[in-house]
Amino acid sequence: MGSIAPSEASGSTVSGRRFRRRRLVGYAFVAPVFLFLCAIIVFPLGHAFWTSLQRVRGLRSTFVGAANYVHVLTDDTFWHSLWLSFAFTSVSVALHMLLGLALALLLDELKSARTALRIAFLSPWMVAPAVGATIWLWLLEPQFGVVNYLLRVAGIVDAPVAWLGEPALAFASIVVVDVWRGVPFVMLLMLAGLQTVPPEQYEAASMDGASAWQRFRFVTLPNLRYLLIVATTLDVINTVRHYDIIGVMTAGGPAEATEVLPVLLYNTAFRANRFGEAAAIGVLLLLIVLALSTFYIRVTRVGREEALR
Amino acid sequence: MKHRSPMRSLLLWSVVVVALAVTLFPFYWMLNTSLKPATEVFASPPTFVSTQWTLDAYSTILSQRPVGRYFLNSLIVSLGATLLSVLLAALAAYGFTRFFEGAATAFIVFLLFTKMLPETLLIIPYFRLMSELGLLNTHLALILAYSSFALPFSVWMLIGFFRSIPREIDEAATIDGATVWQSFFQVILPLARPGLVAVALFTFLIAWNSYVWALVLTTDSSMYVLSVGIANMVGEYRVQWNELMAAAVIAALPVMALYALLERHLVNAITAGAVKG
Repeated sequence: MGSIAPSEASGSTVSGRRFRRRRLVGYAFVAPVFLFLCAIIVFPLGHAFWTSLQRVRGLRSTFVGAANYVHVLTDDTFWHSLWLSFAFTSVSVALHMLLGLALALLLDELKSARTALRIAFLSPWMVAPAVGATIWLWLLEPQFGVVNYLLRVAGIVDAPVAWLGEPALAFASIVVVDVWRGVPFVMLLMLAGLQTVPPEQYEAASMDGASAWQRFRFVTLPNLRYLLIVATTLDVINTVRHYDIIGVMTAGGPAEATEVLPVLLYNTAFRANRFGEAAAIGVLLLLIVLALSTFYIRVTRVGREEALR
Repeated sequence: MKHRSPMRSLLLWSVVVVALAVTLFPFYWMLNTSLKPATEVFASPPTFVSTQWTLDAYSTILSQRPVGRYFLNSLIVSLGATLLSVLLAALAAYGFTRFFEGAATAFIVFLLFTKMLPETLLIIPYFRLMSELGLLNTHLALILAYSSFALPFSVWMLIGFFRSIPREIDEAATIDGATVWQSFFQVILPLARPGLVAVALFTFLIAWNSYVWALVLTTDSSMYVLSVGIANMVGEYRVQWNELMAAAVIAALPVMALYALLERHLVNAITAGAVKG
């Protein structure tokens, strides 16, 4: 349905005036959000591009062309961070998806308690990541932390472990915290998806003598395919640009072992005060996210659904 | 109906209990620690259920530390962002469904892109802009930034809502002599209330839980929001973990309460938001 019938637009001058007036009212409705988005998103984004072409020293900026990009791309730090981002994102997302799907299947079986369990399982996702990360700092505290205590009682370690003090352990720790926080979201989506699988398909499969695994493999998975792709893409986008948990727990340390791209970006801008270089890193990160977003928008039904209207 | 053997039930439930324990233990430990007296926090082995639970840590942080102030800042900023964002989204959604239906799709796709921008990139220009305007350490700077977070989702969701409200209702209001604005505020908005509630809730939660923007845009500790104030307490010389965990409880409580009250709304909103946009 178009907003304005053609007959209304043509015709007498009276309705022509009414038509123009109507458009004007329409503009008044959408103008605020446009002005707002220009001021808060579009202008800063353009400004960030401009900054990435400059060397910023305090209040003075000089145009340096692509120098920041050349510097960033020839510096090992950037490639190290890119690799860390890749490793962090792929491990975290894989675990989110695997555990989220498993949990959703589990909760789907327990129909009676599902709502209560859903509330409980979703709670890590509800608290601020920065606050969740703070709780984990205390759990992982080397000397008095409860994690070390439990592992010692269980006989898994015999001396207190400095979880955030060693590169490999610090990386593993932030993955654990990110998994704790990220699984509920995937679980929620998958649980919603499971409700859309037609029960007849399960019944038919059972009548054909399909085992539980076969029912999962040939009924559940194909039905969830679309949702799995959407959830994975969305989760990758959210994980690759996530700052809060790592910012609070390690700030990129020890020895840059957890300095993923958003953390490198923050540290370059607000610790080292090299805004031009940080903006260049940001633009490169943006390209990665943009590629993923394009993929996301293509796979989701948004375009198709909207096109049908 | 499917029948399940008792063995299978037992197995399912034991897996659920283990998963639940892992998920919720950090919260239990936060609460447990926050209720311990300072001396017991560093006890070895740690006490899983303290015999001397006390609210000392809470009274200390509220009287000797600016946690009350942080809470107020979080509240002002989150409510401000919610109001602004919902208003902008409702106006835009109505404008697109009633006046520019053809452009709605392009606008939604544009919004989807903005939603996926890395926030750490936007912070750099935004920080420099705000410092030039002298808006660092103000609630306004945070309200403006936070309003943009949930906006794409809100517009999308409300466009769906407004489409489901028949146009005859607008027209009937106009025939009765109402202006477009009157019919928008007095007729359409009340009808869209469930959508507005979900959108407001979502915006509030995102704003309340946000961290890195406030970290950059506030340098004066009296302007810290809870997430920043709490994360900064970790950097102190000797961390009082019971006080820190009490502050974490105070930060987590409002979202948990809202969540428990409005779980269904929120779950629908999150699911729709993720799947559709």
